[in-house]
Amino acid sequence: MSSTTDTRIQPGSTVLWDKGDAAGHDILGTRTFGFWLYMLTDAMVYAAFFAAFGVLAHNAGLNSKSVLAAVFNAQGAYRETIALFASVLAYGYAMVALKKGSRSGVAVGTVVALVLGLVFLGMVSGDMERLFGQGIVPQSNGFLSIVFTLIIYHALHIIVGAIWMLVMLAQMGRDGFTSNVVYRLINLRIFWHFQAVIWVFIFVFVYLQGKVI
Amino acid sequence: MTHSVDNPLHHPEVEQASFAGYLANFVITVVVMTAALWVVGDKSLSTLGFIGWTTLFAVVAVLVQAYFLLHMNWSKAQVWHTVAMLMFIPLFVVMIGLTAWMFHGLYERTMIAMPPHTMAAPMKRAAPAQAVPPVSQPVPAPKAM
Amino acid sequence: MFVHLQGPWNPVWGRLSLQAIPYHNPILVGTFLFAVVIALAAVGAVLYFRAGPYLWREWLTTVDHKKIGVMYCLLGLVMLFRGFADALMIRTQQAIAVGPHSPGYLGALHGYLTPFHIGQVYTAHGLIMVVFAATPLLVGIMNIIVPLQIGARDMAYPYLNALGFWLTAAAAGLVMLSLFVGNFAHGGWYGFLPYFELPYSPGVGVDYWMWAFQLSAVGTTLGSINLIATIVKMRAPGMTWMRMPIFTWASLSTNLIALTSFPVLMVSLALLGLDRYFGTHFYTAGNGGNLMLYNDLFWVWGHPEVYFLILPAFGMMSEIIPTFSEKTLFGYTTMVVASFAIGGVSWGVWLHHFFTMAAEPSVNSFYSVTTMLVGIPTGVKVFNWIFTMYRGRVRFELPMMWAVLALFLLLVGGMSGMMNAFAANDYMWHNGVFVVAHFHMMVLLIAASIFGAVEYWFPKIFGFKLEQRWGKWFFWFMVLGTAWVFVPMFILGFTGMTRRLDYVPYTQWAPYLRVMLVGMAFYVIALVFFFAHLYVSLRDRVKNRVGADPWGTSRNLEWMTHSPVPAYNFAYIPHVHARDEWAWRKENGVASLANESFEDIHMPRNTGVPVLLGALSFVLCFGLIWRIWWLSAASLALVVLVIIVRSFARNTDEVITAKTVAGVEGAVDDALPSAARG
Ligand code: HEM
Ligand SMILES: [Cu+2]
Repeated sequence: MSSTTDTRIQPGSTVLWDKGDAAGHDILGTRTFGFWLYMLTDAMVYAAFFAAFGVLAHNAGLNSKSVLAAVFNAQGAYRETIALFASVLAYGYAMVALKKGSRSGVAVGTVVALVLGLVFLGMVSGDMERLFGQGIVPQSNGFLSIVFTLIIYHALHIIVGAIWMLVMLAQMGRDGFTSNVVYRLINLRIFWHFQAVIWVFIFVFVYLQGKVI
Repeated sequence: MTHSVDNPLHHPEVEQASFAGYLANFVITVVVMTAALWVVGDKSLSTLGFIGWTTLFAVVAVLVQAYFLLHMNWSKAQVWHTVAMLMFIPLFVVMIGLTAWMFHGLYERTMIAMPPHTMAAPMKRAAPAQAVPPVSQPVPAPKAM
Repeated sequence: MFVHLQGPWNPVWGRLSLQAIPYHNPILVGTFLFAVVIALAAVGAVLYFRAGPYLWREWLTTVDHKKIGVMYCLLGLVMLFRGFADALMIRTQQAIAVGPHSPGYLGALHGYLTPFHIGQVYTAHGLIMVVFAATPLLVGIMNIIVPLQIGARDMAYPYLNALGFWLTAAAAGLVMLSLFVGNFAHGGWYGFLPYFELPYSPGVGVDYWMWAFQLSAVGTTLGSINLIATIVKMRAPGMTWMRMPIFTWASLSTNLIALTSFPVLMVSLALLGLDRYFGTHFYTAGNGGNLMLYNDLFWVWGHPEVYFLILPAFGMMSEIIPTFSEKTLFGYTTMVVASFAIGGVSWGVWLHHFFTMAAEPSVNSFYSVTTMLVGIPTGVKVFNWIFTMYRGRVRFELPMMWAVLALFLLLVGGMSGMMNAFAANDYMWHNGVFVVAHFHMMVLLIAASIFGAVEYWFPKIFGFKLEQRWGKWFFWFMVLGTAWVFVPMFILGFTGMTRRLDYVPYTQWAPYLRVMLVGMAFYVIALVFFFAHLYVSLRDRVKNRVGADPWGTSRNLEWMTHSPVPAYNFAYIPHVHARDEWAWRKENGVASLANESFEDIHMPRNTGVPVLLGALSFVLCFGLIWRIWWLSAASLALVVLVIIVRSFARNTDEVITAKTVAGVEGAVDDALPSAARG
């Protein structure tokens, strides 16, 4: 029986067992890594949506030009883009405040991010209402099904993020910057900033390029 | 193995936050998205040119975001995040790209070409709450077996 | 907003009514009585032994990766029996219902199962075996072994681990419930569009199928995040990547597949859900839907999924074969590379499940070639195993016998897979039983590896060896059953028999179908031997008690602690110097376990939240299936609430004091002789 190593035993100096608690693992880093993996699975969900978008776009012609023009409202989407990017910037400010250990800074940044997120949501739902009012609904045909699904799925994330922000404000108020609170604030950063990345795809490939579909 | 730092605020993932970086990201992405919007109004571009430019702007925006927002880099704290991302990207491309490829051919071979924008008039439908989805007469539910 | 339903519905009960209970079907009534007897016996036993609090404290609320792993395996085993019962029904039906003059019983024109009923049996069999038997068994074993092999005290996220298990269990519960309340989908385990759309499948069967599938997908995805993070972040000091045990590598590659592909399954099912509940047009035949989109998304997951199943099986073989060849694994590095190559290629072959879609010739050729590429890394693995055995001191103990059986099955399954890979061939036998025989070789290979792995690692977890006599009978009757069922199935495949027949039109196929029935008899006998194996092992557990290293020639970290493994896994974290650390220590004469001056150990505290969330998801899905909106809304709200409330909890950890550790360590005797080597 032979083992695969060239390490030889050094009598007296070879450490066989490590004392000290395994809790010495980098807990915060482990937490954010797992959350990042989750975030990537969510990206894969979007990728699958986009694959479906590519397939169903072949039948976009079922919609008249005016319907498509109403759906792909580039100006409105642009305003939404700015709101979302500003919200992301505000949360970035909160992260910088976290680095400095400033509770009020984190709170202000989070609240501003939350408000801007709600502004974004308000614009999206206004847009949906306008379309639904014209009878342009996900049930119309396959192409509109996937377009609405993409937009609404993204909006659901914003809702979840908003609730999460409220929870974090409460936890920070109660516990201060314990390691639990800190890693959750960082995960929230990953989550929130990721929404901006996804939005770039929706804005460009759905709203803008929808013009030439 | 990295070991925990007693004060979570000194963790590298907290310390990597940078307002200059976030601000730069904001400015660049807003500029790029504005440019993309502006291209929409440019009547002189061909369809291909339009798609090329907007795609390019999207790629720039996403790369900037990946760097400044998602902190994709090779530092000790972020290296595995970056590796995980790099593993996913080809899969996104494979799934979307191969799907597009096979359905493109499929449509050509199996469907009567549908010239865009000539098919149906806008569907007349009331508010969504009453929107009856156009399912054809469903067969009556069978009794439980 | 929701689609208009045909048929009765009311706001309180949704579509649920007494008619949903299949009391007029004698088979289901019998099954129900059987289930009631088992349930009563279980509840009675728990009450009689006053085991309730113990079960709650030690099992239902546990976050210990070993116990969760054991529960995964038990779930997998129960579902394996259920799936086997389905298989028995399929084989007997097809043996009876041959030709126009075949008799009919119990309201069936031919055989004893109506088309509607046997359609459900086929669907349930496939879904259960893939998602609720093989997956939990593999995930369970990975859950137990991987943290031990990397020298960790638990998974990266113990709480999430428990949650993943309870979601899977809730999903399995839904499948079981569909037996007695409502019915199950009857169009095949992988779904069939647009047949699964509401107008054509208006009942609850498809909804049961869809939500059970979806829930298990969530559970498996969470599990994969956990295992990957554990391997990346929790390795013991000194365990560099290339010192990692090969099973851990296999687990990593397989969970990367799960992580990347399961979201696509969720999408494919979710879009069907939108169609069925909201009336969108993703997969409809008209209105701009595309039914091939479903097949596309489903198999984007589906093919990686089959490798998700097989890679851990390969990993098990790679642990067992070196141990029983008394040699180090041949070609460790190529083995690692091959695992990742398989994982990578598996992402680019999915169209081979629908070559007949009528894609362009260039597309079909592309997928033919990529499919065949998988053979290269697989071949590398096979040769590595063979070279490991070559000039080794091979001992045919039970784990090794299973591993060698798996090798043979891999040969047959792989070769037939290559034959499928030719698009031109596949045009002829797609959706025929040749394909069915192909993937059963593969799945039985996985089952064989699982049995081998259980024989191999059982003593580590429970502290005693399984006996060998009945185990060998069990093994040989499994071999017999496999040969008698699947050789005829390959032949039938060549003669053109299609899959999922409720009635077999050609009488010249009857002899083969009868031979297959004999094979099923062998399987049933094997099952009896399996129980004898279990019973005798449990009876003789004191006699078969073993020490830390029961096989004597094991090589990795999991053997460097006591059997059974204490709650904290290692009193001290091992410091790793070599690949095959334990073998290295044995060679260098330092193979004793640490046993002095212990320290406090921090461990996560048990919690009832995961099991509660599992139960709530079960109710949530039940409400969705029967369209009881208030119930779904309420349970969803509760899920959110529970998650938020739990996030405010402060005392989620506890300390095992040095004194307790010393007590546990002092009580074990690692020098017990290993039963096998005398
Ligand atoms: C050498 C590797 C393999 C090759 C070349 C291969 C090839 C194929 C092909 C071409 C098909 C489609 C046949 C058809 O539907 O007409 C197929 C089906 C299938 N294979 Fe494999 N396969 C391989 C390995 C595996 C493994 C490792 C598993 C399982 C663990 C597996 C499980 C399946 C299943 C479940 C199906 C059919 C699914 C269904 O239609 O219900 N295969 N295989
Ligand atoms: Cu496949």
